[in-house]
Amino acid sequence: MTNKSNNGFNTWQKSFEKETKKNLSDAKSETDEGIDIKPVYTKDDLENFSFVENNSLPGQWPYTRGPKASMYTNRPWTIRQYAGFSTAEESNEFYKKNLESGQKGLSVAFDLPTHRGYDSDDDLVMGDVGKAGVAIDTVEDMKILFNNIPLDQMSVSMTMNGAVLPVLASFIVAGEEQGVDRSLLSGTIQNDILKEFMVRNTYIYPPEPSMKIVADIIEFTSKEMPKFNSISISGYHMQEAGADNVLELAYTLADGMEYVRAAMSKGLDVDDFAPRLSFFFAIGTDFFMEIAKLRAARTLWAKIMKDFGAKKERSLILRTHCQTSGVSLTEKDPYNNIIRTSYEALSAILGGTQSLHTNSFDEAIALPTDESARIARNTQLILQNETGVTKTVDPLAGSYFVENLTDELSKKAWDIITEIEELGGMTKAVKAGVPKLKIEESATKKQAKVDSGSRVVVGVNKYKNPKEPSVDVRVIDNNRVRDDQIKKIQSVKDSRETKAVEKALENVTNAAKDEKNLLIPCIEAIKLRATVGEVSKALEQVYGRHFAKSLSVSGVYGKHFEGDKDFMNVEKKVIDFENTNGRRPRVLVVKIGQDGHDRGAKIVATSFADMGFDVDMGPLFQSPKDVAKDAIENDVHAIGVSTLAAGHKTLVPELMKALSNIDPKSKIIVFVGGIIPEQDYEFLYKNNVSAIFGPGSNIIECAEKVIDLISDNLSKE
Amino acid sequence: MELIENIQKGERAAIAKAITLVESSKDSDQQISRQLISELIKKPGKSIRIGFSGPPGVGKSTFIESFGSYLVTQNYKLGILAIDPSSQITGGSILGDKTRMVEISKNPNTFIRSTPSRGALGGISMGTREASIILDAAGYDFIFIETVGVGQSEIVASNLVDIFTLIVGPGSGDELQGIKKGITEYADIFIVNKNDGELKIEASKTAADYKSALSYYKKLDELEKQVLLVSAIKQTGMEDVIKTINQIVDQNKQKGIFEERRADQLEYWIEEEVKNIIASDITKRLSSKGNISKYSEKVMKNEISMYEAVETITKDTLK
Repeated sequence: MTNKSNNGFNTWQKSFEKETKKNLSDAKSETDEGIDIKPVYTKDDLENFSFVENNSLPGQWPYTRGPKASMYTNRPWTIRQYAGFSTAEESNEFYKKNLESGQKGLSVAFDLPTHRGYDSDDDLVMGDVGKAGVAIDTVEDMKILFNNIPLDQMSVSMTMNGAVLPVLASFIVAGEEQGVDRSLLSGTIQNDILKEFMVRNTYIYPPEPSMKIVADIIEFTSKEMPKFNSISISGYHMQEAGADNVLELAYTLADGMEYVRAAMSKGLDVDDFAPRLSFFFAIGTDFFMEIAKLRAARTLWAKIMKDFGAKKERSLILRTHCQTSGVSLTEKDPYNNIIRTSYEALSAILGGTQSLHTNSFDEAIALPTDESARIARNTQLILQNETGVTKTVDPLAGSYFVENLTDELSKKAWDIITEIEELGGMTKAVKAGVPKLKIEESATKKQAKVDSGSRVVVGVNKYKNPKEPSVDVRVIDNNRVRDDQIKKIQSVKDSRETKAVEKALENVTNAAKDEKNLLIPCIEAIKLRATVGEVSKALEQVYGRHFAKSLSVSGVYGKHFEGDKDFMNVEKKVIDFENTNGRRPRVLVVKIGQDGHDRGAKIVATSFADMGFDVDMGPLFQSPKDVAKDAIENDVHAIGVSTLAAGHKTLVPELMKALSNIDPKSKIIVFVGGIIPEQDYEFLYKNNVSAIFGPGSNIIECAEKVIDLISDNLSKE
Repeated sequence: MELIENIQKGERAAIAKAITLVESSKDSDQQISRQLISELIKKPGKSIRIGFSGPPGVGKSTFIESFGSYLVTQNYKLGILAIDPSSQITGGSILGDKTRMVEISKNPNTFIRSTPSRGALGGISMGTREASIILDAAGYDFIFIETVGVGQSEIVASNLVDIFTLIVGPGSGDELQGIKKGITEYADIFIVNKNDGELKIEASKTAADYKSALSYYKKLDELEKQVLLVSAIKQTGMEDVIKTINQIVDQNKQKGIFEERRADQLEYWIEEEVKNIIASDITKRLSSKGNISKYSEKVMKNEISMYEAVETITKDTLK
């Protein structure tokens, strides 16, 4: 007899309906993923699974319960904090301090110019050097970065995708010059270019040659670097860009399949490289969903790899790094972020991650300070040492709810994966721009839920703190960093053998033309002290630089506000504005510099347009001068600058200068949104910025403020 | 007017402000705009105006980026008017053309203005013609007018330009039957894009299809319609495009077709303006009298016929 037909369940249902005054069938709540969560789950919900197998064990097919039999009971997860800023010297100091305080592995954050293959002395990158990561121009910088950190003992993870060839080459050469053979290097290179085209935008070359580079690295490492993970297939940035968990899961695994195919097309046997594929997921605030996601990911990947003909057990097993969600952090009431991060960390652990980064609470505002980094690290140390969560493997196995959710999520993701496969795989889907649009649609929906109050964010749209605390932040003087880097580049260039370097760079270009493995000539060039920028340019000669087409959704945001008073109020203001001024308020929304995180800019653009604004979208990677030209030619009323990579203190004043260079009487107002520490507000206001909107700002309120500012400004004429 | 001087000096901000004026729906702006255009039109510049149209997805913006980049390296000054479709539901627009014109938008010898179509007929927005007069006065060698979609827009757009170009993709030969005689008459050049990679053979085949189909439409005095193969992504075939454009302009000028077209367009413009004024006047009268709902009720009740209602309202309105 099943539960539902027995008296016990009927009695429960009656009590439930009496207590809630609702029919049980109406008492579901829908998640972002479109899954209906029931108020209660029973033994019945463990039946008819498509993917989950009820009696499986940890370390066994289909690996739902974890990649290893013993999991944390034998060795806890690796505490791997992602960090890097300023110069190699300063990052090196920071790493060494962290390692002394209990961190186990390193994870390097590079600055945007390095990601995009520009040297620090390139004019295009003046605002970005050393800002959101460490600047690496030559192998000398890489050597300093790991000074006194023995690379045969330390596993190093590197978030690098665009300039992956020169950076990995620098790492290999730095190891060799430390006396460590490349076969002993352990760690991970992200090398996941597909998601860059979808969300993060730190690509350099077009999709096809980029996929070739990925495959070259998999080929090389599978032969020469047996302890090194050749790729970290990342869903993290998708969730950060607004993807729900089904999209994150499906697109990440579909990316993985594409990489497997790329590597196999090089003639590699799937078992030669599959054990070195690793994954990277985001862990947001939906507690059980995130646990289910990691369990579902392992389950699906095992099936996928079996279908690829993998025979080794290690090829079937998905191993992953996780990071707590950055977008779940708020600028308002920032200490709440410690609590959010703690729960997210617990989700990741209960889901069975192999390593974890916990965000610092101030990361919605700036780069972490020593103090906030310590709290973040201790969040994990407390979980490992005080809570007892390491004592049992996969403690939620058998939970009616979690097992059911794992299967539901697997099914939904599998449908999307199947769709993509039918389209011809992820490279094609990405070129067509479909995943990017889906993620933007999901992001816009989430934003609308928060702005309309149907989703509560404590301290932001409810339970606001009447006395916002002020928080100390880390300040990077990027002009100083840039000057330092320029000097270092110069001294490397002065002491190297120019002829030999030129020849080596020519070899890189030729290898690209002849479709040979590119990492080998890159290592040679880097050894001779070619710069990251020079190697990137040598490849650019053959491949060109990629510029993405920008598609946008419309109507998604507005749909959540039918009949909403505040929304209608802005709509009305727009119409009144048009009646008074003969046209609608027109706003140019831009990113400036090398920062490609465009979720915020896209959401602002689509929601402003839904409220009736005319919104100009600028291309990515523009200089302040380009933006000024664009703004003036289109005679916009305002420019909205989205900044997430700390470049605003250089780039915004440059923009102001550029505007008045073209039109000394320019009346265009400038507002700024994104990650801006409060300490910078005064500076920006002094530079004539009209408004600043931090993370978690309500977009309807922003729109109203912008239209009011524009109207005020026009009435001054 | 100081504005006129500044436009003629090529000042970017002045050009932009003037375009705002001609696009404005405000009465006072329209008055200034009329004065402005009346002055500018007296001293026409040397601009050649080229229309680009084509179905969505053929790479119009990418072509313009590619062709435009080629022209600016030849030291031409280039003005681009891009008409972006606006959302019909909210009335707001996302103007994203420039995200596909990365290189030329940076170039100091270009001026790129996007305009929301506001649902106007044929995707040509109010003020496009006037905007091209402003860019002409500002000394731009070429003015590109990029329009959305295929259909009515060609006919409206072709009334604004000296040369009209249709961009099509490989494999579109099948659509030939769908291309109405009208459009082939208006278009001077057919550009088959995406002549690269795997699509190369298909593109050549499409070009051949167009050539044979178009030979039927040759008009007596005019040049044969030109079919060109290009790859916007690889920037190939751009020399042919500019050579062909210059050739057509020269020939048309020699034969007087160039001037004839401009005269026809002026005629069309005057007619359009008159119609617009009458239409907006009538609309105002109709709404102020509120006759329509009154008579439609009568029609519903079968008191009078629909045509009787139309006749009565018309007489009443034109009184």
